[in-house]
Parts: sequence; structure tokens; C-alpha cells
Amino acid sequence: MTKNKIKALIILLLTAGPVLAVAGGKAAPGTIDGFTAVDMPYDAGASVLLKWPVGPSDSADASYVVYGSSLAEGGWRKGEEFVATAKTCKDINLPFWAWDSGEAQHALKVELNTLFGDIPPGTPLKFKAQLLRKGSVEAESPAVDAASKSNWFRLDRLNNLLFLLVMIVIFFWAVSHAKRKGLFIRRIAGLDAIDEAIGRATEMGKPIFYVPGIGTMSSISTIASAFILGEVSKKVAQYDSDIKIPHYDPIVMTVCKEIVKQSYLEAGRPDSYREDMNFFVSADQFSYAASVDGMISREKPAACFFMGYFMAESLLLAEVGAASGAIQIAGTDIESQLPFFFTACDYTLIGEELYAAGAYLSKEPMLVSALKVQDFGKLVVMASVSLGIVLVSLGTKLHWDFFVRVILNLFKAY
Amino acid sequence: MKFIKKQIPLAIVMVTGLLMVASYYIPHKYSVDYVELMNKWENIVSAFAFLLGLVSLFYSHYGKIKRKADGWGYSLFVYIGFLAMVVPAMMTDGRQMVDGQVTSLGWSFRYIYNALSSTMFAVLAFYIVSTAYRSFRIKSRQAFVLFVAAFVLILGKVPLGQMIWDSLLGWTGQGVADIIEWIMQVPAVAGKRGIMIGIAIGAIVTSLKIIFGIEKQYMGKD
Repeated sequence: MTKNKIKALIILLLTAGPVLAVAGGKAAPGTIDGFTAVDMPYDAGASVLLKWPVGPSDSADASYVVYGSSLAEGGWRKGEEFVATAKTCKDINLPFWAWDSGEAQHALKVELNTLFGDIPPGTPLKFKAQLLRKGSVEAESPAVDAASKSNWFRLDRLNNLLFLLVMIVIFFWAVSHAKRKGLFIRRIAGLDAIDEAIGRATEMGKPIFYVPGIGTMSSISTIASAFILGEVSKKVAQYDSDIKIPHYDPIVMTVCKEIVKQSYLEAGRPDSYREDMNFFVSADQFSYAASVDGMISREKPAACFFMGYFMAESLLLAEVGAASGAIQIAGTDIESQLPFFFTACDYTLIGEELYAAGAYLSKEPMLVSALKVQDFGKLVVMASVSLGIVLVSLGTKLHWDFFVRVILNLFKAY
Repeated sequence: MKFIKKQIPLAIVMVTGLLMVASYYIPHKYSVDYVELMNKWENIVSAFAFLLGLVSLFYSHYGKIKRKADGWGYSLFVYIGFLAMVVPAMMTDGRQMVDGQVTSLGWSFRYIYNALSSTMFAVLAFYIVSTAYRSFRIKSRQAFVLFVAAFVLILGKVPLGQMIWDSLLGWTGQGVADIIEWIMQVPAVAGKRGIMIGIAIGAIVTSLKIIFGIEKQYMGKD
């Protein structure tokens, strides 16, 4: 009888044990199947891509948290935590030709520098994910190995590369075409006024101020400004007028010195060239503006050219020039400064006109032909915008989601 | 000689330019390292060029003082300003604060450099008013459109303007804030984007001209 009671007690304990354990919240968590960690494609090796299937239990009241571990340090570092219904392949910002953006899988890009600090590509790492609900772990993935690597090609930028290649082909076609016959270029009033401005300076016996702005030689607008300076200083040399070029950047000054010297040489007036035509003022924005303003106020030039990269000093310079009574011609590609030049100057070159100015003034067929490439580029953009609006509107109306995505991806910068 | 003066520099420009273009499409570490190396070189060249600029600055102002040119007294302030910053910087090893105390360099920065820079920046406010006055003189249809847009913007930004709008045009159901929002988001952005697209394409073409040696004025002609 006692034996039977003991047997029954043992059986009861064995069967009730797991039930009690569950009641105490100590049930073994489930497994997240299909969890993978691979190198993030198209990057320099600074991130890893974690993927696992979207499960039926993924709801808004649950969350995923990912962990990473490096062999060097050991232990798990907590990464990103997010709602279980979020972060699918659709949320990865890559185009259709480089990425399958279905919603059947979770996808998370882990920035290694954020999680582990500065680690080189190829470092062996481990990752795992946990599904949390009401503070307890409901499921956990096995720890998987991963290592990032430096990739060789940004496939996501393929659209950009193709556009560039088309531009290069058109560029060479236009240049070779220019050798055979001339091309029509529309008049740019601001550039036509350069002769008038220099002539006025010659008649008045006053100097011309050419301000190349506060850009460095790596700024396209400063490079364009240097080309314009070449043509302006050639005319100044022909008219035997005086030009002053205050500089913000010493490298720009060095390049401009060579350009002006060459222009005087080409104009047949090397004797008129002086080294102090180009001079350094300051590498500080407002010191530069104050100094140039002072010179303009004192010397009352006949003409002021503001060509290049300008920020807040644009109005400080142009307004003082306007008050001094000078003819003012400005040009910049900083659109936030264009309104100031419009209001304070007689003529303003808008962005692309600044780039075109050197070719326009020099009238060299090879350079002029390159302007046609700019026109072609604008034509492509205009056609793309018009067609894109129609196609995306049509696709949205007809619920052709993939079609809309294709169109939007084609014209997006990655 | 032409080979050294022309062909080699052009080849360097082309190879360096093409590698920079390629680095946009190649994310590999070699590519990243190359761009970083170029940036370092640029900084080093800039540092040396700065000395060149300093020599040019001192030389031109020395000439003005020597010739007693108009306003030569201002040239003295170039040297005074230079010494007022450089001497404290050398005395304090370039530190503006030591143990929570402002050094002489910190003092110069705060009470000379910052004060002067702020003054110049503040002058902008007065220039904006005089520029606005000039541009608001309606001489053409374009100037009229500019005036109307600017007037609505100014009106909407001050409480009095909003009160005037509500009492005069409140019946339209459109608040002045909505009109401002529309002006800033639709015509202003459209114009801005048009300019930006032109600039972007112009920049690409200018870069191609330099990379492929079509534009080589910066090296002089034969």
C-alpha cells in the first residue's frame, strides 16, 4: 500500500513538474528558424545584414532584439530593438535591380562601428535575435557566424553610372562635332556686359575688382570663376585697364596668378602684368568681406565682378559695390545667395551660366560644344520629369505597385 | 619640355579625376583609403599654400605703407591684428582655456576676433533692408511678382500682419500662414530645383571638360 502511494507521488511529480515550471515562467524559449547573418552588399564592409522569416506570432505587442558578439571581446552586445511587425526587406533602401524587397522576411542592417566600435572588415562575429513579448523571451535564434567584407561595386548606383556614361558619350560626340562646324549658343546678357564694364573702367581710369569668392580650388564654381577671370583679364589687358583680385584661398590665388599672367601674355601685354594684381586677403569669411568692402569703398571701382562660391558675404560685398556706383556682374551656383545678387547687382549669372561663361567668352569650338552637353542633360531631365509624372500617376491610379517602384527607383540617387 | 609642362600634368589630372569618379561606384576599402589620402594631400598643400598667402598679404600691405598709399593706416592694423592673435597663441601653446581659466589667446578670440566677426555679420541686417528697398521699387512685372510674394511673407511673419490679413481677407477661409506655406513649398521650391538641376548638370560637364583635358586654361596655352 505504501509502495503504491510512493509510486503515485513520483508519477505526479514527474508529470506536474513541467506544468509548474511553465507556471513559474521558466519554459524554454522557442526557436527563430531561418536566421542568417551575411555581409551587407554594396558597402565598404562596415555593416552586416541579418535576415529571418516573418513569423505568424509577429505582432505589435512583441519586439525583436538583436545581439552581436566579437571573438576578440566575447559576450553579447545588445543591438537594435524594434517592434516585431517592422523592419522587413522592404525597409532596406536599395533599388529593385539590386535587392529583393519582399515583406516575407525581416531584414536589419547592423552598423558594426555603432555596435562594436572601430573593427576592420573580415572580423569574425556572431549574431543572434530574440523575440520578446511582455518582457520575456518567447523565441530565440541560434547564434550564427558572420563577417563583413569590402565590396567592389555599388550595384545600387548602376542607374547613376549609366547616366554618366551616356553623358560622356554625348560629350565626346559634341566635342568631335564642334570641330566640323560651329554651334549656336544663346546670348547671356551678363557676359555681354563684360566689355561694357571694362570699357567703362578704362574711360573712368578706375580699377576693376574681380572677387572669386570664398571657395577652394576643389569647388566647381571657383574653377569656373578662374576660367572667367582668364577671359576678363585678357580684355583688361587689351583695354590697358587695371584689375584687382583679392583672394580668400592661397591656392586659388596661386592658380589665378598663372591664369592672369597667361592672359596678359596672350593679349600681347606681358609688360603690363603685375604680381600684386592677385593678392591674399584673409582665409576668414568676414575678415575677407570687411577687407574687400573697405577697398571697394575707398577706391570706388568702375566695375565689380563677383564670380564663384559665396555665402553670407555675398550681400555684404554686392551692397557696398552697388553703393559705390560700380557696374556689378555676379555669378554663383549657391542658390541661397542668388537673390542677394539679383537685387544688388546689374547682371547675375545663375548657376549653370557661370559654368558656361568661360566657354562663352573664349568662343573656342571645343569648349562651346560642351555647352550642348549641358543642354542635352537638361533635356533628358525635363523629359524624365514629365514622363515620370505621367507614369507614376498612372501606376498609382491603377495600383501597379511594382511598376511605380521601378520608375521611382530608376530616378533615385542611392 | 612640352611633355613635362603639358602632357604629364594633363595625365595626372585625368588619372586622379577618373579615380575619384570611380571611387563613387567602388565602395572597397582601397577606394575609401584613396579618397582619404587625396584629402590629406589637399590639406597638406593648403597648409603650405597658406604660408604663400601670408607672404602675399604682408608684401602687399608693406608696399602700401611704404608708398603711403590711400588708406595706408589700415594696413598697419593687418600687422597689429596678426600679432594680437599670433603672440598669445604662441604664449599659450594654442590653448584657449587652461584649468577653466581663459588664456590670453581665449581672450583675443572672444573679445577681438568674435566681436569683429559678429559686427560684420550684424551689418548684414542693415544691408538686407537697403537691398529690400531697392528690389521693392516696382519697375517691371517680375519686380511686381517679387514684391507681392515678399509682402505676403513679411505680412505673415508678424502678428500685426496676421491680424490685418484676418480682418481684411479672413472671409476667404485662407490663413496667411497657408499662403506662405504654399509660396515656400511650391513656386519657391520649383524654381530652386530647376536651378539645382542646371547646376548639377553644369558641374558634371565642367568636371568632364577638366578630366578629359578639353578645358586646360588653368595651365596656360602653348
